Amino acid sequence: MATVNKPVDVVIVGFGWTGAIMAMELAQTGLSVLALERGKDQDTVPDFAYPKVVDEIAQSARNGLLQNLSQTTVTIRHDKNDRALPYRQIGSFKPGTGVGGAGIHWSGVHSRVMPDELRMKSRVIERYGEKFIPPDMQLQDWGITYDELEPHFDRFEYTCGTSGKAGNIMGKIIEGGNPFEGPRSREYPLPPLIDPPTSVLFAKATKELGYKPFALPASNASRPYKNPYGCQLGPCNFCGFCSDYGCINYSKASPQTTILPALYRMPNFSYRTECHVLKVNTDSTGKKATGVTYVDAKGAEFEQPASIVVLAAFHLHNVRLMMTSKIGQIYNPDTGEGTVGRNFCYQMIDSVNLFFDNKTYINQFMGAGGVGQEIEEYMADNFDHGPENFIGGGVIWGRQTGNGPVRGIPVPKGTPTWGSGWKQAVKENFLHTGRIEAQLSNMAYKGCFLDLDPTYKDVYGTPMLRMTLNWQDNDLRMSEFFGKKLDAIGKAMGATSMSGRVLKRGDSWDTRAYQSTHINGGTAMGADPKTSVVNKYLQSWDVSNLFVLGANVFAHGIGYNPTGLVGALAYWAAANIRSTYLKNPGPMVPV
Amino acid sequence: MSRMRNGLLGLSALVVVGVVAVAAVALHKPEPQISDALAQRKPDVTRGAYVAVLGDCVACHTSKDGKPFAGGVPFETPVGTVYSSNITPDKDTGIGTYTFPDFVRLMRFGVTPSGGRVYPAMPYTAYAKVSDEDLQDLFAYMQHGVTAENAPSRKDGMTWPLSMRWPLALWNIAFHDDSRFVPDVPKDTAWNRGAYLVQGLTHCGTCHTPRGIALQEKDVNGTSNLFLSGSVLDGSSPINLRGNIGDGLGRWSVGDIAEVLKTGVNIHSAIAGPMAEVVEHSTQYMSDDDVKAVAIYLKTLPPAPDEGRATFAASDATIKTVLAGKETSPGGRMFMDSCAACHRESGKGETLAFPKLAGNPSVLSADPSSLIAIILNGARLPSTAGAPTGLAMPPFGWRYGDADVAQLASFVRASWGNGASAVTADEVSKVRARVEPSRAKAQPLAASTDRVTAGAGSR
Amino acid sequence: MSSSGNRTNRRDLLKGTAALAPIVALAGSRALADGRIKHDDWASSAPAPAHPTTADYKPTFFTADEYAFLIAACSRLIPQDEHGPGATELGVPQYIDRQMVTPWADGGIWYMQGPFFPAKPEFGYQASLTPKQQFQQGIKAIDALCQKQFQKPFAGLAPTQQDDLLKGIEKGTVSSPDLPLKTFFTSFLLKTVMEGYFCDPMYGGNKDMAAWTMIAYPGVRADYLEWVGEAKPYPYGPVSMYGARG
Repeated sequence: MATVNKPVDVVIVGFGWTGAIMAMELAQTGLSVLALERGKDQDTVPDFAYPKVVDEIAQSARNGLLQNLSQTTVTIRHDKNDRALPYRQIGSFKPGTGVGGAGIHWSGVHSRVMPDELRMKSRVIERYGEKFIPPDMQLQDWGITYDELEPHFDRFEYTCGTSGKAGNIMGKIIEGGNPFEGPRSREYPLPPLIDPPTSVLFAKATKELGYKPFALPASNASRPYKNPYGCQLGPCNFCGFCSDYGCINYSKASPQTTILPALYRMPNFSYRTECHVLKVNTDSTGKKATGVTYVDAKGAEFEQPASIVVLAAFHLHNVRLMMTSKIGQIYNPDTGEGTVGRNFCYQMIDSVNLFFDNKTYINQFMGAGGVGQEIEEYMADNFDHGPENFIGGGVIWGRQTGNGPVRGIPVPKGTPTWGSGWKQAVKENFLHTGRIEAQLSNMAYKGCFLDLDPTYKDVYGTPMLRMTLNWQDNDLRMSEFFGKKLDAIGKAMGATSMSGRVLKRGDSWDTRAYQSTHINGGTAMGADPKTSVVNKYLQSWDVSNLFVLGANVFAHGIGYNPTGLVGALAYWAAANIRSTYLKNPGPMVPV
Repeated sequence: MSRMRNGLLGLSALVVVGVVAVAAVALHKPEPQISDALAQRKPDVTRGAYVAVLGDCVACHTSKDGKPFAGGVPFETPVGTVYSSNITPDKDTGIGTYTFPDFVRLMRFGVTPSGGRVYPAMPYTAYAKVSDEDLQDLFAYMQHGVTAENAPSRKDGMTWPLSMRWPLALWNIAFHDDSRFVPDVPKDTAWNRGAYLVQGLTHCGTCHTPRGIALQEKDVNGTSNLFLSGSVLDGSSPINLRGNIGDGLGRWSVGDIAEVLKTGVNIHSAIAGPMAEVVEHSTQYMSDDDVKAVAIYLKTLPPAPDEGRATFAASDATIKTVLAGKETSPGGRMFMDSCAACHRESGKGETLAFPKLAGNPSVLSADPSSLIAIILNGARLPSTAGAPTGLAMPPFGWRYGDADVAQLASFVRASWGNGASAVTADEVSKVRARVEPSRAKAQPLAASTDRVTAGAGSR
Repeated sequence: MSSSGNRTNRRDLLKGTAALAPIVALAGSRALADGRIKHDDWASSAPAPAHPTTADYKPTFFTADEYAFLIAACSRLIPQDEHGPGATELGVPQYIDRQMVTPWADGGIWYMQGPFFPAKPEFGYQASLTPKQQFQQGIKAIDALCQKQFQKPFAGLAPTQQDDLLKGIEKGTVSSPDLPLKTFFTSFLLKTVMEGYFCDPMYGGNKDMAAWTMIAYPGVRADYLEWVGEAKPYPYGPVSMYGARG
C-alpha cells in the first residue's frame, strides 16, 4: 500500500532544466511546489569539484554522470517488424540523471529555432507544393509561432548567461551575427567566447567560400555574469571537460549554476531525490490528474497528491510516463491512430575529423562545449530545397569542445587500430586535429515511433519504452548534401587529410558510437488533438491539469541543439499557467 | 563572529586564582536600574526581531537541525565543550521566567538571575554597549516573538575545577567595561550609528580585535588603533578592518564594505569561513542604512601600526612569467595546477565570482591561518538574497602535504604585488590539525620533475 | 538513503512568527543550509584513493596465467618503441586488474537482463557476459587456440606470432568455438588497454603520466583561458589528479 503524502499544489517529475524552470516560475506565485528527482542530489562542490570530476575514466569511460542503464533503459529496433533489443550500454545517446539532469553534462550550445521550422509544413506547401512532401513523412506545424516564443527564448538566454552575437535585433540585421535568425528583442547577455584554433580556421574558410559565419551561441559564460535570479556565473576557462562532465567553475549554465540557489531559498519549494515516479494518477473520469505515485530508494511506494502535475523528466521518461499512466492513446503505425509515441525523431550528425600539418596547432584538449563558429545557409528553409529534393536542413560548425585521450584520439584513415603505427599516428596528430560537423534536422515519419516493449521490463517491473526508428531516404539525401559541403569546407580549412562519418543512403542507425542526445517527439505539441498530445501551452489534451515539458513535444527533429527551445517552451508554459491557467483551471485551448 | 571558542584559553590560570579569590566579589549580583521612562515605554516586538538579527543571536543559539533559539550549539574550547543555552521563552528550560532586569543583567554583565556567570563566549562584553531601548525590544521579541521550546540545556563537558564559573567575576572586574555606547557628538548620525553597531550589537571586535593575556579584547571602545586590527581565532585569521592598504580595508570604498556585508562578495574579495555564517544569518538582513553606517564608521578607522603587516603594490610580473611558460617555482606551479582555473594566472580572480588574490586582505593578513584553512578545506560563500549562489571552492588538503601548502600559500602571499610573509609547513600543520583533526596527513608530492616543455611533448 | 530538500524547520518557524520578516528569513536560511546536501566537502570532493603503478604489483583478480596473457597482449597492442613507452611499462595490466573489482566489471552500469538475442553490430553489445567474464573467457579461449596451434600459451609466442594472431582475431579470420573473439578483442581488451594507457596514474596505468607526455596532453590541468586563442604549443607539462607534475 502506498503511503499518501501531504498534498501539494504542484508536483514536478524530474529536476533538470525544465523542472527547475517550472519550479521557480510557479513557486514565485506562492504555490507549494515539490520536485521529485529519480537520481541523486548533486552540486558543483563536492560533486563537480576540481579535479575530481575531470576524470575521463569515471565520466567518459564509465558514464559517471549518466543514467545507470542497469535500472532502466529503452529497447531499439529499426523497423516495426523487427524484434527490439535493449540499449544495454551507453552509446549513441546519453540520458542524464540526478538533480540538474542532462543540464549537467550537456555542452552548452544554446540555439533558438528558425521561425519557419515551427510551421514547416505550411512553408513547404507554400514554396514547393504539397507533392514535395514524401508520402510517409508526418510533417505538421507546431501550433505555435516564433514571435510568441521570443520573450521566452530571451528569458532563458538571460537565465543562462548565453554568450553570442545577435544577427537580428527587432528586424535590424547586425553584422557579425546570424543573418538568418528570427528577430530577437535584444543582444545576448554576454559577448561571444574566444575562438579556439578550429573556429578561427572554420570562420576564415567559410568566409572565403562565401558564407557568413558567426559565433555559436553558447551557455558557457564568456564573462562573469549575474543572472536575473541573482545566480552568479564565472567565465569559462576552456578546461576541455564539458560534454560528459559537470562544470568545475560555475561557467556552464546548469540548473545548479543558474536557478537552484535562488529556488532553494523559497520556503514553498521542496524537492526529494531518489524518488522514481511510476505513474501519473488520474481520477475516475480519467480527465483529471490527482498526483503521482513514486518509489523511493528503499522501495517504499508513495502517493503524492497534487493539483497540477508537470512532467519534466528527460524525453524518454516523459513519453513512457504518459504511456504507463494510460493518458491518451498510444500511436498505432498501422492505423495511424493514437498520438502518444507519434512523431519520434532523432537528430542526425555528420562529423569529419580534419588532420593538419605539424605546424598547425589546434590543441584539441582545450575547448568548451559551446564554443565555435557556424554557418546557417543550409538551416531549415534558408535555401531552395527544390533542386535538392529533400526537406530539412541543419547547421555546419567548427567547434572545439575539448578532448582527451581516453575519449579517443582521432587518427587519419588507414591508420592501424593498435601497435606502433597507431601510436605514431596518435602522437603526431593529437595537437593537430580539428573537427567540423553538420547537425541536421530529422523529420517525422509514419514508421518511426515509440511504444511500450512487450518483453523487456526495468527494475520496477515497468515495460521499457521501445524505439522504432531508422534513417529515411529524405534525411539521408540531406546528409549526403551536407557531406559535400563539409568536404569543401574541410579542404578550404587546409586539412591535409580528413576522415569521418557522413550518413548516406543505405545507412542504418548505429546505436554504438555517440551521435547525439537530441531525441525529439513522442508527445508532440500542436493545434490538432488528432495529431498531437499537448496543446500549444504544453497542456495535455486529455488531462488539463497535466503539463508535459521537454523535447518530446517537438513535432519533428530540428537541426539545432534542442535545449534553447526546450527551456523557452518551459518558460512559455509557465508564463501561461501563471497568467491564464491559475485563474481559470481547465483546458486552455478548447478541444 | 561571536563563537569565541577559544575565549577560555587564559581562563585556566584565572580559575586557579579564582579558587582563592574573595567570595564577596564573586557573589556580587549587579542590579540594573530601569528608568521610569523606560518602564513606561511600549516595547516593539518587530524591532526586537531586527535587533536579534543585528546581534546574530540565532548563530550561537540554534543547533544544526534544532529549533530556532533552543540552544545546544557546541563550542569546543581548550578546556572542554561548552553548549549554548536555550533562549526561547520556555519557562522550564528557556528564559520564560526572566524579568526585563534579569535580561539586562545577563546582556550587560554576563550574570544570570541566580547570580551565576556565563562565559564571555557570550559577547556581553559588547552587548553592554547596547541601548536600553534596543535591549527592551529584543527582550520583548525573545519573550513574545519566539516559539517556546522545551529543550534542557546540555551539560558542559568540563570537569572541576574548570567547570566552576564564579571566578569569571574576577575577570569581569579586571577586563569588563559595562558602560553604554556614548555618541561622538561632532560626528554625524550615520557614523555614530555605525560605531554603536560595530562596538555593540554586531560585536565585530569579538573576532576582529586582538586579544590580551587573559583573552580580553585589547580595545572595546575604538579608542586605539588596535581596535579591529585583526586577530587569530579558531584556526582562522579575522582580518584587519582598519585603513591599512595591505591587509586592511584601505582600498575599499564605503560601498564595497556595504556590499560585502549584504551579499557576501564584492569586487575585492568574498567572505568564507566563520564570517560567512555571520553574513548568512545576520548582516545580509541589516537595513541598507545600517550596513552603510557600519561601512562609514569602519572607513574612518586609521591604519593600524604597519610593523609586521603586509604591503601591496599591484604588479604584473607574475602573470608575465606564467604566460612566457617560465613559471618553475613549486608554489607557482601548484597555483597553476589547482588555483588558476578560477583565481586566474593574474591573481585577479573574476568579478563577483572568484575572489581576487592580489591585494586581498584575507590573503595578506599577518597570520596566514585563514588562507591555509581555505586551501586545505575549501570554502563556501554565504547564500544571500543578493547573491544566492554561495559559490564554493573545493578543498585541496587531500592533494597537498603541509610543505606543499606552505609553498603554495607563500607564493600567493608574494605574487602580483602581494607583500606578505612566507608560510611555514609548521603553520600549515597546526591549521590542518585544527580544521580537520581526523584527516590523515596528505603525503607530500612525490619528487615530481618540474619540467617546462618549450615545445610539444617529448619531441 | 533518500535525501530530502524539505525544510520543515523553516515552515514551523513561519507559523510561529509570520509577522517578523527579518528573523524569519534569518533563521530560515539556517534551516535551509541544513536541508541541502550534507557537505563533507573534503571527503566527497576528493577523487578515489590513488593506486599508482608499482614495481612489485601482484594481481588480485587475474590468475598468474591470465596476467601473463595481459602483459603479453599489452606489449603488442601498445609496444615500447621509438615513439614512446609501452602499455606494459606504464602499468596497464595493473590498471585492468584493478578495474576488475569495480561495478563496471560485473556489468553494474549496463542493462544485463535477458532475454539475450544475437543482433546486428549496430545494436551494440547484446551478450550476457560481464566484462569480468569476457576477460576470463577471452583469455582462456585465446590461450586454448595458441596451445592447439603452437603448444604454448599466448604469452609464450614470438611477438610476430602474437601480432598475427591478434590481427586475425580483430579481422574475424581467427575464431574460437568458445567465444566471439572479435567482440572480446575490440570491445573489451583493446578498449581497456587504451584506457589504462591514458588514464590518470591514480588508476594504476599511465605511470608517471608518460603517455600524456608523449602526446603533449596536459592531463587534468583544465585551465586554458590564457592560451585557447593561441594556435601554438602549450608550454607546460601534464599534471595528475593527485597533483604530480610531469
